[in-house]
Parts: sequence; C-alpha cells; structure tokens
Amino acid sequence: MPLGPQNSAQSAAGRMIPDVGAARPAPPWPYLGTQISSPAVAPGTETRMEARGGPGEDWIPRGPGPGPSLSALLSELPSSATVRYRGPGIRPWGDPEPPLEQSRQESWSQWQTAPMASPEKPPESQALRELPWPMEAKKLLWRLQALSRPAKPVPGIRGSKGALLVGRVWARLIGVPKMLVPWRSILMKIGGQYGAGTEAYFGLLRFLLGLNILGALFQGVLTLLPLLLLGPIPGPPSSGVTKTCGSYDPVPQGFVDYVTHLTNLLSGEGHLEWSPLFYGFYPVQLRGGTFQLPVAYLLSTFVSGLLCLFLILRRSMSGLKQTLLSESGALTSYSHRVFFAWDFGLQGSSPVELRRRAIRYELQVELEEASMRKQAEARTGAQRAGLWMTRILLNLLVLALLGAAFYGVYQATDPHKNLQEDPVVQATPLLKLLIAYLPSIFISTANLILPPVFSLITSLEGYTRSRQIQFILLRTVFLRLVSLVVLLVSLWDQITCGGKPEAEACATCGYDYSILPCWETRVGQEMYKLLLFDLLTCLAVPLLIQFPRKLLGSMCGGRLGRLVKTMEFQVPEEVLGLVYGQTLVWVGGFYCPLLALLNTVKLLLTFYLKRFTLFAFCSPASRTFRASTANFFFPLVLLLGLAISAVPVLYGIFVIPPSKLCGPFRDQPNIWAAIPNAIQGLSQGAQDFLFFLGTLSFAVPLMLVSSVLMVYTLTLATSYGRLVSKLKGHLKMESESKVLLAQKIVELSGEERDL
Amino acid sequence: MGNKQTVFTPEQLDAYQDNPFRERIAQVFSQDGDGNMTLDDFLDMFSVMSEMAPRDLKAYYAFKIYDFNNDDYICPLDLEKTMIKLTRGELTPEEVGLVCEKVINEADVDNDGKLSLDDFQNMILHAPDFLSTFHIRI
Repeated sequence: MPLGPQNSAQSAAGRMIPDVGAARPAPPWPYLGTQISSPAVAPGTETRMEARGGPGEDWIPRGPGPGPSLSALLSELPSSATVRYRGPGIRPWGDPEPPLEQSRQESWSQWQTAPMASPEKPPESQALRELPWPMEAKKLLWRLQALSRPAKPVPGIRGSKGALLVGRVWARLIGVPKMLVPWRSILMKIGGQYGAGTEAYFGLLRFLLGLNILGALFQGVLTLLPLLLLGPIPGPPSSGVTKTCGSYDPVPQGFVDYVTHLTNLLSGEGHLEWSPLFYGFYPVQLRGGTFQLPVAYLLSTFVSGLLCLFLILRRSMSGLKQTLLSESGALTSYSHRVFFAWDFGLQGSSPVELRRRAIRYELQVELEEASMRKQAEARTGAQRAGLWMTRILLNLLVLALLGAAFYGVYQATDPHKNLQEDPVVQATPLLKLLIAYLPSIFISTANLILPPVFSLITSLEGYTRSRQIQFILLRTVFLRLVSLVVLLVSLWDQITCGGKPEAEACATCGYDYSILPCWETRVGQEMYKLLLFDLLTCLAVPLLIQFPRKLLGSMCGGRLGRLVKTMEFQVPEEVLGLVYGQTLVWVGGFYCPLLALLNTVKLLLTFYLKRFTLFAFCSPASRTFRASTANFFFPLVLLLGLAISAVPVLYGIFVIPPSKLCGPFRDQPNIWAAIPNAIQGLSQGAQDFLFFLGTLSFAVPLMLVSSVLMVYTLTLATSYGRLVSKLKGHLKMESESKVLLAQKIVELSGEERDL
Repeated sequence: MGNKQTVFTPEQLDAYQDNPFRERIAQVFSQDGDGNMTLDDFLDMFSVMSEMAPRDLKAYYAFKIYDFNNDDYICPLDLEKTMIKLTRGELTPEEVGLVCEKVINEADVDNDGKLSLDDFQNMILHAPDFLSTFHIRI
C-alpha cells in the first residue's frame, strides 16, 4: 500500500487523542484520500462510469478533473461521512493533512462540528459500541460523557439506579442457562473443523436429547412414579383362566435358560413383557383410588406431544427468520460466496486449504449451474421431450424400488405367521430372535442401500446440483418414514383382522385376541426392537464399513487409496437417521412408556460415537452447508416426523378397542372413554364447561375465528412483502439519482471552470 | 498498558498466517496503514472480530478490509484481488471476471459500477452467516 515517507516516521508519535497540553500532532497515517484515490476514480466529464468492462480492461486514471472530483463530492455527503469518521480529534479517512499551527481549541471545535453518525448530539452509551472508533477514542468519549452526564441515567434506560442494577443482574442471570448447555466447546470445535452443517447435526442431537429427557420425565412422573409409590405392583395375569377374550400369559414359567433370557431381553418378551416398560403392566386402579392412572397415562402422552411441538416450532422459527431475511437467496449467491464465505476463525493449514477448496468448488458449481441453465433454455423441443421421457422412466424406477422395499417390509412382519410357526424356528431361540427382528433388519438394510442408488438415479435426470440434492433428500425421507408406516399398517392388519370388525377372529373382542391377546404391548415391542436395532446399526456401521474402508485406503496408496479413504460426514442422511429414531419414540411412546428414557441413553451413546468417528475417519466436507438453512430445514423434517407419528397414536386411542386382559384401559370400550368417565367425577360446573368444549357450538366459532386470524396474518405478510420490494426499488432509485446528481454537479462545475 | 509501544509486525502474527486477508486486516487496524499494530490496535482488532461486536461495526470493518485501494468503494479491481486471494489463483481469468461481474450486478444498488458502504451493508442484511464467519474464536 502506498505510503507517504513522512508518515511512517510519525506513526511512532502515538495515537491521535487530543491530549491535554500537547500540541496537535500530525495524523499518524497518510492521507489516503483525495491524492491517491481520486485520480484513479474520477472519470472527469463522463456521465456514466464505464465500470462494467471486464477485469482485463485497465482502470486508467483519467487525471484529476477541472472541478471537484466526483469522489470528493460524494465523500462530502452525510451518508459517506460515517465511512470516514474515526473518532473525536482523529483525522477522518481521506482528509488532507492539517496545517501544523492548528491550536488545541480548533481541534476541539472541529470535533464538535465534524460529521458523525449522530451529528447533533454525542452518541448514547448503547450506540457507542457500534461506532467504528479506536478504543482510545471511545474511552475518551466515555470519560467526557461521564463528566457531562447528568445524575439522571441516560434517556432510554427506564427507571432509577436501582432498576439499572436489577437490569444488569438480570442480564447476567439470563446468561447462566447458556453456560449450562452441555458440549458447547465440542460443538464449537466441530464447527470450526468440519463446517456449519456438521455442527448443526450435533446441535440437533443435543436438542433431541433435551426433548427426550423432558418426555421421559413427564411419562415417568405421571405414570411410573405413582405406580411405584402408591402400588399395588400388579402380579402376572392369571394364567390358565380363559375368559371371553382368551388368556394372556406373558411370564414364562419354570426354568428359563440364559440364551432365552438374552433373546427375551432383546425382543422385549418374557419377563420384560410384564414390566413397567410396556403398556400391559399398568393396572386400572391404584391403591387409594384418588390418583386416576388411566387419565394420567393419556395426559402424559398429550402433554409431552404438545411440548415437543412447541419446542420444535420455537427452534424452527429462528431459522425461518434468518431464511426469510435472505429470501432472495438466488439473487445474492455470488456476492455471498465472495464476501462472506471465508471463515476468519480458521487456523492451521489443512482447514484453511479445505475451506479454500470448498469456496472454489462452490464458485465453480455456481458457474456450472448458470451454464447448465443456459443450456437448458437452449434445448430444442425434441431434446426436451427425450429428457422428460428419461425423467419419467427414472421416476418409475424409483417408485418400483420403493414399492419393492415396502412390500419387503410388509412381508417381513410375517403377517400370516408362516415363519414363526415353523417347528425348526421354534426350537432355536436364535432363529426366533432373527425372525422377530426381521422387519428391523429389512428396514435398516433398505435405508442403507437405497439412498446411494437414489443419488445415482438422480444424477442421470439432468437437473442442476442443488435440485438433485433436494430430490435425493425428498426420496430418502419418503423411504424412511413410509417404511415405518408400512410396518404399522401391517401390525394394524394383524390386530384388526384387516379392518373388518365382523371377521370371526375379531367379532367377540374387537381385535384379534388369538394371536394378540395384548396388542398394545405388541406394538410397543416392535418399536422397542426397531430402536435397539437402530442403535446396533449405529454401532456397526463405523466398525464394519468405515474402519475397514479407512484401513484399506491407507494400505493401498495413490489416488485409489485416497478415494477409498476419504469419507465425509453426510449431514442430510445422518439427520434423517435422527428424525427416524425420534419418530419411532413418538409412535412407541404411548405403548412403551419408558422408550423416551431408552432413547436418551441411545442419543448419548450416539453423540460420543459419532464424534469419535467424525474425528477418526471423516475428512471435512467439500460442500459447505448454509447454517441458516440447516437450522430451518432440520426442525421442519422433525415436525413432519411428529405429524406422521401422531396418526397411529391417535388412531389407536380413538378407534381400536383396547385389550381386555392388560393395560389401564381394559374395561373401557375405547381408550379415549377414560377421559369422559373421569370428567363425570368432577363438579357440575367443570363438567358442563368441559363438555361444552366438545360440542359444535364451541368448535364452529373457534374454527371461524382461527380462519379469520389466519387470513389476516397472511394478508399482513403479503402486504409487508410488497412494501419491502417497493422500498427496495425506492432505495435503488434514490441511490441512482444521488450518483447522477453528483455527476451532473461535477460536469457543470467543470464547464464553469472552463468558461 | 499506557503508552507502551509494542509493535507487532505481520510476521509475528503466526497463528493467522493462513488467512488470505491477513495483510489487509493488519493494514486496516493499524494506525499507519502499513500493518504495524500497537497493542491498542491489536485489542481493537480482536474486539471487532469477537462475537460481541455489533453487526454494523463488523460490516464497516469488513468493507474496509475488502477495499484494497482504500478509496471507500469496492471497485472491480478490489473484487478481483479478493477473488484471487480467496481461491489462490485456481480459477481461470474468465471465471474470475464472470464472478466479479455477477457480484457487481447483484450488489450494486446505486448503479455506479462499484460497491459503496451502503451497498455492502444492504448485502449484509441478506447474509445471516456473516456474524459467524467474520469472527475469530479465541
């Protein structure tokens, strides 16, 4: 950078503070303004800056114009004065060197009249932080303000000194919960080394851990604790007694060998089946009769579900705000990548190199997408038809694959009990375990194999890269969540005899009591097995796939070895795994109350395991993930999982008759009937109010009011959006006219001089 | 503290040697514009780059950093230099030129062919990641 030789000597003169008693020192840095910049910028008499030439064109200074140069004129405007103002008594950027005989008085008066951010009064204490002044200047101004500040506090802070103190203490208190959040340093380290997307994944994991702890707390406090405290602990259901709905005998009699114990533990049968883990264990009434266990059981599910909904919405709202703010993402991508892509906190040569490569990769991707878009527009009709034919065929292929996966899941649940009743299978407990886990195995295998196939297929469809990624994600989400739905549908098929209540097996009791004497426990068991197998997969994949890959890659050197060895942390797939696990817990939470607790343990293990594999095996991602989109998109998928999980639970509560032999609802016609029965026990006023809430005369006005509110909010949002774009256009026009006027002034003054 | 003159030359700032904008940061925060910082300048730099600094303050200094010729505008030459520093010359000149052109098209509000501080601050409104990237973690 060009420097005046005299100024480097003066740099040692110290900071530019109006020192009491010292003479006015010369500015410590050179006048970088008019003498250097204006020749390079002023176009002289041109009316329009020829700025859109390529970089090859020389930015030739055309020499200082005859009048005030354009840049000098523009720098006198108030808006650009903030750019240059550096603090009291300090020369603004670009000011010429003052004559040395300027006295201290003059410097003070200059300070008073110098252009500032808030020209009329000195900035308030809050705004002092935002001024781009050196620290010394800010300290000086603070001291000056302290002298001149009245005893009353600065306007803007309400109340007396006591309120000020309270405010400060409150601010400190607010900061405490932030410190209590665990793993802050780990997440920062991960974010620094592997990017914002990976950090967002671990942040989501931490959030889900919190959700599960809350859910487990609710269900534990409302169902398990009263049972343990009040009792009685229900003994096993009477064996041998055949009632109208069959007999239920889960606890094995006699001697149980070790292997059977293990298989029982893994499949939730045997002693585990008759335990607080599953629905069937809970009795209808507790000792004392005051605590209504059925009502508490239902309420705990609803309350934890609503709490989860609220927390997820709150988390996605902040992400939404950020995404809406950058609403025209497509229009600012280049400037973002050039100015804001570099992370100033990176240290060490390898993260820096990787970030550089990532930025270059992204710029190249953007350019490639732009050229692809141009190509797409230039396609002829025949080419377009051919492309669409290919797309339709590939979509059919994807649908076929998905259909095959779903059919496989359905068959794996063994709807006709063919495999389970095979005598060979009955004899070997290991085979029995395998058959019991068959749906989980199938789902996990499909979730491992199909997504790479989808990415291959999508790459053939001729979309741009970002569109491809969206399609792959969509298909993977569909695969994961719908395979779970298919499993539930096959269970429903078994429970309700295919939805036909008049079928002979389901006629007496409303459900198929011969194969499923306690169907809620069975559903709980399936979810339990899925969860366990998910954990097993999580443990097995690093051990069986990533570790050998890394070993193999480091053994064979060269390009192939490096290709094999480099694994990246696939953020979207991992996030979908988390969402899948959480959906399992939400579905199974009603039928297996301690599932949330198990999931807490599972999430803890997953965190440390994933962290280990991340640092041990994975290299930083070549594609950077925008933190703002991650914070918005991930909770959205979580919401989708919550919505999907609500359907089977609500269906089971309202439609399917509960088992007659187990559970807290065994003498009700349906599970929901416990609530009206409980309401009957309340006072008449409360009864009337609660029953009124269920009638049409409450529901219809509520719906009307909600729709009116919704329409109002939507219109408000659209009008604000229109206002914003209008203001943007206004801003653009104002800036253009400002530049035009300045150019005209330069022209006119130049002409005047010439005359 | 006080008037102690401890000058950090750029060579001594070892940990941040890999930052492509290291010279510019030093120049912007130094008194003489040459990259020699006093302790106060050093503290200023960390204060601005910390997570507590307000967004407008960071925007102001980011603008100064990207303005290589110190003319209060980011002109296409400045943009080219930024690009070259970012990608270490791995993009071809045509690509660099194309990207510079697109950046000016996107961000230039007052249509004068270069970016002023207003344009830059306008762009920052659309960049929610700015606060987290313009940040040195200590």
